[in-house]
Amino acid sequence: MAAVDGFWGQAWRRYRRRPLAMAALLFVVGLAAVAVLAPAIAGTKPVVCRYKGRLYAPCLAYFDRRLEPAIFAKDKFRGSYPRNLAAKDPQSWAIWPLVFQDPYRAVRADEWPGRPENPAMDKGVPSRAHPFGTDQAGVDVFAKMVHGTTVALLVGFVSMGIAGTIGIVVGALGGYCGGWVDALTSRITEIVMCVPTLVLILAIMAIIEKPTIWHTMAIIGFTGWTGIARLTRGEFLRLKGAEYVTAARAAGAGPVRIMLRHILPNALAPILVPITFGIAAAILVESGLSFLGFGSPPPTASWGSILNGARSNLGMWWLVVFPGVAIFLTVLAYNLVGEGLQEATDPRLREARK
Amino acid sequence: MPLFLPRHPHGPAGWRCLLAAGVAVAVVGCGRSEKPRLVAEPESPAAPVMPPEPGPAAPAEATFLPPSLADLDRDAKWIDRPVKQGLAVLREQQAKEPVLASVAEALALRNDSPEANAKILSALGRLPEPGAADSSARLDRHVTGDLSSTNPILISSSAEFDILGLTGFGLFSFDRALEPFASAETVVSWQTSADGLYDRIVMRDDLVWSDGTPITAHDIAFTYRVIMDPRVPVPAVRSGTDQLKGVHAYDDHTLVFFHKEPLATNIWNINFPVLPRHIYASTWEEDPTLKDSPEHVALEEKPVCGGPYEILARKRGQEIVLRRRDNWSTFQGKVVREPPYFRDVRFRIIEDPNTALLALKSGEIDEMILQPEQWTTQTVDDGFYELNTKATAPEWVSFHFAWNIDEPFFADRRVRRAMSYAFDHDRMLEKICLGLYQPCAGNFPPGSWMAGTKPLVPYKQDLDKAETLLDEAGWSDHDNDGIRDKEIDGQLVPFEFTMLVNQQPFRIAICTLLKENLEQIGVIVNVRPVEVTALQEMMQKRTFQACLSGWGSGTDPDTSENIWKTGEMRNYSGYSNPEVDRLFAEGRRELDRSRRGEKYARIQEILYDDQPYTWLFWRNSFYGFSKSLRGYVFSPRGPFHYSPGSGSLWKPRAE
Repeated sequence: MAAVDGFWGQAWRRYRRRPLAMAALLFVVGLAAVAVLAPAIAGTKPVVCRYKGRLYAPCLAYFDRRLEPAIFAKDKFRGSYPRNLAAKDPQSWAIWPLVFQDPYRAVRADEWPGRPENPAMDKGVPSRAHPFGTDQAGVDVFAKMVHGTTVALLVGFVSMGIAGTIGIVVGALGGYCGGWVDALTSRITEIVMCVPTLVLILAIMAIIEKPTIWHTMAIIGFTGWTGIARLTRGEFLRLKGAEYVTAARAAGAGPVRIMLRHILPNALAPILVPITFGIAAAILVESGLSFLGFGSPPPTASWGSILNGARSNLGMWWLVVFPGVAIFLTVLAYNLVGEGLQEATDPRLREARK
Repeated sequence: MPLFLPRHPHGPAGWRCLLAAGVAVAVVGCGRSEKPRLVAEPESPAAPVMPPEPGPAAPAEATFLPPSLADLDRDAKWIDRPVKQGLAVLREQQAKEPVLASVAEALALRNDSPEANAKILSALGRLPEPGAADSSARLDRHVTGDLSSTNPILISSSAEFDILGLTGFGLFSFDRALEPFASAETVVSWQTSADGLYDRIVMRDDLVWSDGTPITAHDIAFTYRVIMDPRVPVPAVRSGTDQLKGVHAYDDHTLVFFHKEPLATNIWNINFPVLPRHIYASTWEEDPTLKDSPEHVALEEKPVCGGPYEILARKRGQEIVLRRRDNWSTFQGKVVREPPYFRDVRFRIIEDPNTALLALKSGEIDEMILQPEQWTTQTVDDGFYELNTKATAPEWVSFHFAWNIDEPFFADRRVRRAMSYAFDHDRMLEKICLGLYQPCAGNFPPGSWMAGTKPLVPYKQDLDKAETLLDEAGWSDHDNDGIRDKEIDGQLVPFEFTMLVNQQPFRIAICTLLKENLEQIGVIVNVRPVEVTALQEMMQKRTFQACLSGWGSGTDPDTSENIWKTGEMRNYSGYSNPEVDRLFAEGRRELDRSRRGEKYARIQEILYDDQPYTWLFWRNSFYGFSKSLRGYVFSPRGPFHYSPGSGSLWKPRAE
């Protein structure tokens, strides 16, 4: 006889039975892989190269500019590797990204030996060289999309990480402690609920000196925790009267231990659901902001900013279709994952289905 | 007809206005009237273009006692000045120009080459043969924003200047080459004293306001008093008039303008819009705002007009319809002036350029300004050419990166030059401006009399030179992180700065190109798009490091003094050079055009060497026109904002 699965094991088994939810999960995992490997999929900096006897990974500069080895600046590479590597060190070798295209600029003529300059304006129709076309400035849309994945996933996870942490802490305190703590946290939650996220983002972006994508994520996170807090509070209210909690208390466990070790794991399943939906919502908000031109500063590659480029010329359909489909599928996938999670973990829904 | 020149409050004759952030503010003369106005670019709502007048103006006339005309005649040696009719001047010029194509040919052409453009302008830009114009036609113009006032002296936005150009009364104008003259439609003679201190005008006696009351010299003297009264909130037209000592009407038709100093710019100072004295004399003292009292509210709706058109109807936010005045062209039953070609002129208010293009394609409007991308990609198909054609010409609107010299980065001239050497100017012209704009290397339009004979060449991209200059200035990579830095006050400051730009893809693309170029040599640029008004405020307070902005030029180089002179209001770069300051002061007092030109050319050379700006391009005019429209002729300030300007447009009689 197989060992009896725990709660999460059972939930996973039930989740696996739902093909749509599984497909969505695979899609999300795939996106995460693309996000992490983005510089190796599309870029103009070698993934790994050997130069003057040492190994470097200049592609990491796509994650953070400071990770680009200074030797290339010293040797006046000026951002262009293929010819400079060969010219300045004939012994050098390099592993290149799958697609030699940059998400921030148009690749120039003959930058990669024999490759023509990227087409610009409405000439950038999808072709073999540019499967997703190029935008007005000649930047390859595929490269932008791949690097935009990083932005989309980061926005989702970072903002919901912040929101989840705040929401769970506030909700747990209110639900478990009750009394004036509950009154206070509930009122705070209600106040934050009234803050319009979009307007707040616009206002803060106008104030700060150097707005980045991280500011957007922080604001979404700091305003998006209210739903999570209310759910957590409800779960904690319900569970703090449970027998095992009374037992733990009788055994001398402190309130922090009871909250973290005993109640939280049992409350987690319903809390995960709004977090998943929140990720989808955060991606939508970021895309919307970029579309309106208030998102991450140019030339950050974000799906919304590609859409924004289509506003001035609707004839460039590839600037609408590819990022549009990507946003749609990603948001749909997160919602499906959330729904699958809900059905797999909520016993009441399970009962109803039988 | 008069063209009114709005002045910047801090300049003797404001002919340059801030284009930062998308409100292109060109000072323009209105078609049939000679005072220029400001235009907002179609991509942005028409914002008030001139900043409001700060501080009260000196009370005029209170202390000024004009001498008698006999005394004046005895003291002054009068020199006759030109009195012309804008349309007649243009007709003469066109008679000498060769016709490059027939109308039918031009209408069948696609404007895809300079030759085609020249043919279209040559054939369709002609004035009508006598009787060829349809005198009952309506012109549908496009403006990007509504009026905030119809009062002539409260004008400030581009739409207000456009309307006033057709409805306002004035004495002076300037032609396609921006040469000033007195308008023969309103003036009999214009004389200036040899010492440059007086201008004497004799007005025609066959002029009436739209209510039938005669227009006299007293109206002009009265308007001057109202403009200069500090209680009246005049946004744009007071700068210029504040350079006058006084204006005095000796009788109904004789008028003398008294100047404080004999300046080359005096001609622009005596050119201001005119109010009907019989209407406002009794009301303005009670309500100096000219807007609030019931009488003034009624006048806002139905102003008494002195120009060839009057306001017929107005739907706020949608349209303004003007009707031709019969008592403008006829007096006591006789035709005394050439009537304007159109019976009605309708101004359609459409903010969004994409919506406006749809309106043009469907024939709802007869003309509009086209964006570069619209010009190259959205006006090339049969759908556009079915009803419309398009034309282009150079215009005096230039764009630049402005460097804040007070910042540690840009105090050193070598660094500013390095910025210019790092920027891929050619690529910008070719790939972002799509080859549509002219390269710009200095502050005065090439080929103009103030730009000198030696044309300036833009700094060509030369990264080695840029790096050498930066190394010389002390900006090199001391801490080996790939980014240049310099020790300032014991701290290692990395060369990383913020470039402000307004929210327009086209302008952002230029900044992104600079970012890419500078990153190649270890300088980090953060491009930060901001909203128009925020950008203007940061420039005015000088809380920026660098920004992309532009200036629209007017008619006289003197007005750019407040951009370059030490400590001036619009000297956003914080530039200071005693020689430039001195040359501006000398230029204003030099009355000889060629000697004056030399001074301004020298200023331009100094600025070129110092590079307080990295100059980018001159933005040309790009217009879409209905195929039924004729008579568009371009000046350095576009097709409408000179004399005759919009007054030269006509539609042919139906066959």
